[in-house]
Amino acid sequence: MKLSIGNLYVRDVVFGEADSFADGVLTINKQAAIDYLMGEDEHITSLDIVVARPGDDTRIVPVIETIEARCRMDGRALFPGVTGELAPCGDGELKAFKGCCVTVVGGTWGSFGDGVIDMGGEGAKHTYWSKLINICLVGETDEEFERYEQQKCNHALRWAGHRFAEYLGRIAKDLEPEDTETYVFDPVLKRSEERKALPNVAIVLQPQSQMEALGYNDLIYGWDMNKYIPSYVSPTEVLDGMMISGSFMPASSKWSTYEFQNFPTIKELFAEDGKTLNFVGVIMSNLNVALDQKERSAIMVRNIALNLGVDYAIVTEEGYGNPDADYVRCQVILEDAGIPVVGISNECTGRDGKSQPLVTLDEKLNALVSSGNVSELTVLPACKTVIGCLEAMNRDGMSGSWGYDEVLGKSARDDGSIIMEDNNWFCGDHISGFSVKTMVEM
Amino acid sequence: MKNVILYLNQFFGGVGGEDKADQEPFIVEGAIGPGLAYNAALKDAKITHTVVCGDNFMGSNTDEAVRRIMEMLKDKPMDYFIAGPAFQAGRYTVACGNICKAVQEQLGVPVITSMNEETPGVNMFKKDMIIMKGGNSAARMRKDVGAVCKYVNKVLAGEPVLGADAEGYFPRGNRHELFLEDKRENTAAYRGVQMLIKKMNKQPYQTELVIPKKDLVPIAPAIKDLSKATIAMLNTGGIVPVDNPDRIQSASATRWGRYDISGMDRLEAGVFKTIHAGFDPAAANDDPNVIMPIDAMRAYEREGKIGRLHPFFYTTVGTGTTEAEARRMAKEIIPFLQEDHVDGVIMLST
Repeated sequence: MKLSIGNLYVRDVVFGEADSFADGVLTINKQAAIDYLMGEDEHITSLDIVVARPGDDTRIVPVIETIEARCRMDGRALFPGVTGELAPCGDGELKAFKGCCVTVVGGTWGSFGDGVIDMGGEGAKHTYWSKLINICLVGETDEEFERYEQQKCNHALRWAGHRFAEYLGRIAKDLEPEDTETYVFDPVLKRSEERKALPNVAIVLQPQSQMEALGYNDLIYGWDMNKYIPSYVSPTEVLDGMMISGSFMPASSKWSTYEFQNFPTIKELFAEDGKTLNFVGVIMSNLNVALDQKERSAIMVRNIALNLGVDYAIVTEEGYGNPDADYVRCQVILEDAGIPVVGISNECTGRDGKSQPLVTLDEKLNALVSSGNVSELTVLPACKTVIGCLEAMNRDGMSGSWGYDEVLGKSARDDGSIIMEDNNWFCGDHISGFSVKTMVEM
Repeated sequence: MKNVILYLNQFFGGVGGEDKADQEPFIVEGAIGPGLAYNAALKDAKITHTVVCGDNFMGSNTDEAVRRIMEMLKDKPMDYFIAGPAFQAGRYTVACGNICKAVQEQLGVPVITSMNEETPGVNMFKKDMIIMKGGNSAARMRKDVGAVCKYVNKVLAGEPVLGADAEGYFPRGNRHELFLEDKRENTAAYRGVQMLIKKMNKQPYQTELVIPKKDLVPIAPAIKDLSKATIAMLNTGGIVPVDNPDRIQSASATRWGRYDISGMDRLEAGVFKTIHAGFDPAAANDDPNVIMPIDAMRAYEREGKIGRLHPFFYTTVGTGTTEAEARRMAKEIIPFLQEDHVDGVIMLST
């Protein structure tokens, strides 16, 4: 498979009469976009588009999703099974608007998996998103059945986000990209002797699938990953819209759809492919809650790896807590099968830093990368502008925020300042690989 | 200019050697002894006062010594409190730990000290404070003082600190996030792939989360004839004489005690109690035998079921205690058991 992504670098986003992109400026006809998105889903009751730029004194909350705006040159849906008909991902041509993202924001209501982005000040370092121009899609819906639920599917707003990314991407269709990234994934059985002589490396992805009820988990080609068993996929499929993120999982441990589209650890494996290693693909697993489901997935990952001839693997999980059981089990079963592993995840050591970092440990885990700590406590001053609704942090059970604490008070204070655990930064621990955080004994 | 107060023992404080170890605490203005080296290495701070106390006085009258020193310090402006370096001097390291802990807790001032890893002070206090990894003799004075000052200068300047390994102090058992410089080579993605390549090529690499080794002890062979065996009783339930003479901590214990039960038929309430902080102590204080069943063992002894009971029992507290500390304490206890030819022990928890 060969995937080409032609990049157009966005330096500013403005609203105007007609959609266009010229000299680095992306112009959006705001009303036309809103009309289109509301016309696609009757459950959206109001919608606004707000631009937040790097360095702005702006706090965005509750953030539901981030997505890269892209266009498939063959007219195929950007997210097959989600924004359009099913079709294969992984080869073909894309164009992508770089330097910006579609950021889906609840206008009033948040949920467990939603997070916070600070565009400027001390809070900016906590997420990758502060480096991008956030084209915020802020909306309300009539999804009354989940209005007061801590867990929300957020279907209408999430799908609006994916459609908006596709809608904006079409602006790029006839434009010349500034540069092109190409990812070639040759059939593994037909590779040259030279490449076959290199160690075979696979990456095991464990996307979020813990919710037994459907509609909350990550989707693969539109299919809920709770009702899924591990399979073998091309890394180019992951980068090409095969996956969309779910609404469940504490925000900082989440992989957003943008992260699947740009999965940094996959890109780093491509960078080494054919040089130090032979990248033989992705074993796509999941993170179900029941022990037999965990064991079944681990067994299938192991056997796919063995039958494929994988010599070494990277294992990475979209989550912490219960999913650590899958993360550790998968590494152990691979090590036991003679396949040495590196694991990439975050930790949960408690506010005092003294708790066990993963819910289960095993001595066979001897090569781990730590991308952050969900438990760090952060206090930040008010921002001049809030996109969304700060009160959601107090009211809606967002992970890492609270409405009442005897000592600490509430998370979103009346003066606009906030106190929360790192848990609540949107994708803040960037387990997908963007993270420049580690963990040390302090 | 920030104010720093220094603690020294009688030797480094210029009073004298072992014969002056009973020196009662006193405070002088300005820097003496190692204080001069500190003043040379501190950037925007100076030693305003120096507290001196004999190691024996501090060791034998800790509460009184700490009380008097707190009295001396409480009105003095202080941005940092430094003790030592104590090198490999056992009592001095414990004194530095005790006084730093008191200053930190009672006065809320940041503290730092320096000790060699082969000292009791490190084990007793490394979780409570920053203890720089120090040398084993005063020949290392300049280097150890320099290391302390480097850290203090950083903190006083508000610069970010990089954690135990990078800064050169003993890990305190608390893991926290550290932001690296924002560049590709520092991303988790890059770190992960490069770690894998090193693992592939059998090159050394450093895991970012060290999984502690499980220390599984094989089950001992059965005692063939219990009626001739000497049995000893150990517990992690914190059963001690009511005045807790060994000052065993109620949690995260580093200390243990050995208590004579010759002639005792049972452990009496009011004579023994528990100092374990991990459970409701009411039942154990009413009847210490529920944790340490000396009464039952004496009955077995009379019945001839066991040969005899070792005349001491041993106590520490299990809650929060690390495997490493537990191992050390066991190694210290074992010679007493071997000396009395103990054949088997009963290890009691809570």
